[in-house]
Amino acid sequence: MNMDKDKLKSPMDRRNFLRTCGSLLAGGVALATGGILATKMKGEEGDVFWQIDPFACTQCGRCETDCVLPVSAVKCFHANKVCGYCDLCGGYYRPSVKDLNTAAENQMCPTGAIQRKFVEEPYFEYTIDENLCNGCGKCVKGCTSFGNGSLFLQVQQDLCQQCNECQIARVCPSDAIKRVSYKDAYKLKDHA
Amino acid sequence: MRRRVFLSIFGILSCLMVMAEARFPKPDFTSGYEYPNISHGVPMEQFWNVLDIVLLVGMMSLVVWAAYKKRSRAVIYSTSLVSVGYFGFFRSGCVCSVGSLQNVTLALTDSDYHLPWYVLLIFLLPIVFALLFGRVFCSGVCPLGALQELVNVRNFRLSRAVSSALTTIPWIYLAFTILYAATRSQFLVCRLDPFIGIFRLGGDLGMIVFGVILLIMSVFIGRPFCQFLCPYGAVLSVFSSLSWKKMEITQKSCINCALCDKSCPVDAIHQPQSSKTKESRSTGVRRIVLMSILLPLFTIACGILLRQNSDALSRAHKDVYLYELVMAQQNNPDMDECLEVETFNAMGGNIDELKAKVEKVREDYAFYATLAGCLMGFVIGFKLLKWSLKRSRKTYEIDSARCTMCGKCFNYCPQNLTKK
Repeated sequence: MNMDKDKLKSPMDRRNFLRTCGSLLAGGVALATGGILATKMKGEEGDVFWQIDPFACTQCGRCETDCVLPVSAVKCFHANKVCGYCDLCGGYYRPSVKDLNTAAENQMCPTGAIQRKFVEEPYFEYTIDENLCNGCGKCVKGCTSFGNGSLFLQVQQDLCQQCNECQIARVCPSDAIKRVSYKDAYKLKDHA
Repeated sequence: MRRRVFLSIFGILSCLMVMAEARFPKPDFTSGYEYPNISHGVPMEQFWNVLDIVLLVGMMSLVVWAAYKKRSRAVIYSTSLVSVGYFGFFRSGCVCSVGSLQNVTLALTDSDYHLPWYVLLIFLLPIVFALLFGRVFCSGVCPLGALQELVNVRNFRLSRAVSSALTTIPWIYLAFTILYAATRSQFLVCRLDPFIGIFRLGGDLGMIVFGVILLIMSVFIGRPFCQFLCPYGAVLSVFSSLSWKKMEITQKSCINCALCDKSCPVDAIHQPQSSKTKESRSTGVRRIVLMSILLPLFTIACGILLRQNSDALSRAHKDVYLYELVMAQQNNPDMDECLEVETFNAMGGNIDELKAKVEKVREDYAFYATLAGCLMGFVIGFKLLKWSLKRSRKTYEIDSARCTMCGKCFNYCPQNLTKK
């Protein structure tokens, strides 16, 4: 009898009891959190892929500098169906060029990523070499302010790291970078 | 000449930056030209997310087996290698469990936020394992921990008091993480991730320097990030201390040689303490009662402290920051317009709308800052209470809250080396 009483009073038992209570509480909390969070997964797929809304973009140039990658995952895209195929392209030539030729100093693109090809009089086709493009958006600014706005900046999905929080989105002055779901992975201009 | 005129007009126009569509008509091609078919690279499909989860569970199970059955550090060490290779360099460390804290916070506070299924699993699975077996995830599955584990060669120990005091930092970090995530200001953990720049071989220079310094430190101190910074480790330590199974240094009886204590890189081994302490029982009881009174006081005090500073904290939110810039511009029109204000004005921003938004954000901040403050105060109070408890121990025991299950003590314990 006396021994039983001692055993009941031993601190180990109380400690074990408290620990079991704690474990059950922790388990309950984990279960409850899991349950609540599971209800938040409505819909089939989450919006995890970053995209620029090309109509909200102001070509501030931060896409080039703020991406976590050494060369930004943002590239210039070209919507051929919107393009006017102008000879005098606002995205291709720098403003107030003296002699209008395709020499490097006359080109808007600092990396020479825009290729120009003669199609037929008076049309020229422009193509972006994405390996050279650094996403600075200079050509986009030129095209949007002078041309049809067929050049636009967009996140290239196979380069994008899909950071939990996009570093460019954080500093984008016009809040143009948003998450989209897998099925509409690209916000393009010529789809409309 | 015509071209010249054209170009100068273009110059003026580009300055005005007008949005316009189809200034030039769609060309009529007569040469049979067809529009090129441009396809864009598709994002990594869910395959990788499934593989992430499979590997996460697989590697955690492997560590459990290595720590409880095989009792081998070699297996845990090789898991670390795989983790750094796959989760670190190959998957470039995103989304990680540490960062998933923020997604979960957002999901709990923002009804619009859609939590992807794999982020939920990445968050929940390590907690479930911690509740069952301890901090298995930290051991060799988390790429951040694994990287520090791989470079650790020596253990210069901080004094126990200092290192215990430093373990409150992760909780303070956690409180701010929750505050900033819940108010949709920023993902603090992602921004301050020290090793992501190393995994990606590029990124913010400051963070890479910070990561390299931490890495050099972890050569001499066991896992400085896990011990003194990681907010997810703090969460796991709670579940781990209440875990179902506990890791043991040896399955035989302890001979109190203190070798395991020397080997532990994270100071997670309790030394034996005699129950016959010099102080009387009443002093101890009085101290505990005092600490129990201090606990709610600390909680409330820190809550109030952060609430009063919530307006200053709210500057981390983009809208508040913009609002202050716009107001500064209005008060001082001679100031150079910065890009944010310029864009705000160019897009026809409405100052009253912005003000309403900012007030909403500030309300949110007042609420969540109080919550974060309470969490901080509670943790500080609770730590004080815990330190004031003296427990008698006859042998060396693992502190399961701090043990990251690296398995170093297995090889150091002479009892493990002797044959049956």
